[in-house]
Amino acid sequence: MLEAARTPGLNVYTYSEVEDVSGFVGNFDVKIRKRARYVNNDCNGCGACFDVCPAYGYDEFNEGMNPRKAIYVSFTQAVPSMAQIDMTRCIKCELCKGVCEVNAIDFDQEDEIVDVKVGSIIVATGWDEYIPKTGYLGYNVYPNVITQMKLERILAPNGPTVGHLVRPSDGKKPERVLFIQCVGSRDLNMNTYCSGGVCCMVSIKNSKLIKQHYPEIEISVAYMDIRAAGKDYEEYYTASRKEGIRYIRTNVSKIQEDPETQNLKIIIQNTLSSTRLKELEYDMVVLSCAMVPAKGVEKIVRILKLETSQDGFFKEFHSRLNPIDTKIPGIVLAGASQGPKSVAESIAQGRAAASSLARLMGKDKYRILLIRATVDKDRCAKCGLCELNCSYNAIKTLADGAEVNEILCRGCGSCLANCPSEAITLRYYREPQYEKQIDAILEEI
Amino acid sequence: MAGTIRAQYPSTIRPIRINCTGRVTPSLIMRAIGKGADGVIVAG
Repeated sequence: MLEAARTPGLNVYTYSEVEDVSGFVGNFDVKIRKRARYVNNDCNGCGACFDVCPAYGYDEFNEGMNPRKAIYVSFTQAVPSMAQIDMTRCIKCELCKGVCEVNAIDFDQEDEIVDVKVGSIIVATGWDEYIPKTGYLGYNVYPNVITQMKLERILAPNGPTVGHLVRPSDGKKPERVLFIQCVGSRDLNMNTYCSGGVCCMVSIKNSKLIKQHYPEIEISVAYMDIRAAGKDYEEYYTASRKEGIRYIRTNVSKIQEDPETQNLKIIIQNTLSSTRLKELEYDMVVLSCAMVPAKGVEKIVRILKLETSQDGFFKEFHSRLNPIDTKIPGIVLAGASQGPKSVAESIAQGRAAASSLARLMGKDKYRILLIRATVDKDRCAKCGLCELNCSYNAIKTLADGAEVNEILCRGCGSCLANCPSEAITLRYYREPQYEKQIDAILEEI
Repeated sequence: MAGTIRAQYPSTIRPIRINCTGRVTPSLIMRAIGKGADGVIVAG
């Protein structure tokens, strides 16, 4: 990210949102809303303002587990390293203004709309963690039931506990930890898909990490199937079993908290070994939640006129033969925007997306097929039915008749089938050609 | 599709390639039926 921000000719818009996209391959006009940080570009990220700020908010980067000031840098390695003010928390005391040596604080700043002309677009909107319903497996009710993302932050050296594993209820080190797989995925009531084996591998990684630091902690993983498909993954899984991590093939349906100790009791049946139900007690439970499309993706779908698959991720040109491009030329997908995938797969797709566009943009010319709709303007009644029926926004009704944009047109013919004055024809697929075919076929009989 | 799955179908079916089912106009269907076709399947 830092390298990208420093590359000349590469503009990075952070804390920004795409508002509108128009045009076609080679000529996209993009409107970007740069949200107000209330801090101007002179900020050098020195952090003097954080110390004087009296207002607090929750640190979103650490999953809200520790406080941050109302003026803050979103996370330590943020690019650009610039402060921003959370106006929902700010009390407008303007103490920060007094200590800022570069006069970077500007309370009057407003959102800015930037118009950018681009030739092609890569959609890399990523994913979010599935949030279980309150009460499901004790989520949001029992403090010691946390999600995998929270555990990631607890285990991180720059996290809220500086890397020490503690449980949220009392801040003590847990002695028994349970991971529950497939929360919100492979479940007909929530998401039917498997999150690409990512949550399996993350659980294995985190349980190994805990075991390395604290060999005395007892770790179990409640799973449906461990999906360790990929290079070296199965070996990693086997290694974790050798380290003493216990894998229980089961479906956890309920978690009950012991009100005194705040330990969690679960009743499970190991479907591989016994038919008896067992009650097990754990100090902390980690829910391995599904990967779901990032928040706000619906807006991008609408703006770019793309499609999504049933699971809500962006729909690719072909799920097996071309998972990179979309149906719109000049717009490609990278990473988890197209479906749940690991870091390695995301990198592979990102590079594929870049080369797919480089091939398109490297030439100065763009080839189109001649199978396009053409309008006989003398017959056109300017009724606008064609515009209404075009899925690609390729035909516009102008004052002197309908006009086809030959780059956007895909030659489907929906416009001509709907044209009441028969003013539109499709090159190579004209009405008389079909009539001749029909007549010739039916003559044989 | 019928070919790849080795499906059997009557030899009197005659396919006409179209770019998209959106291209099919009622007049083409009526012409085929008028010329003696028993039916028209619009598939895509």
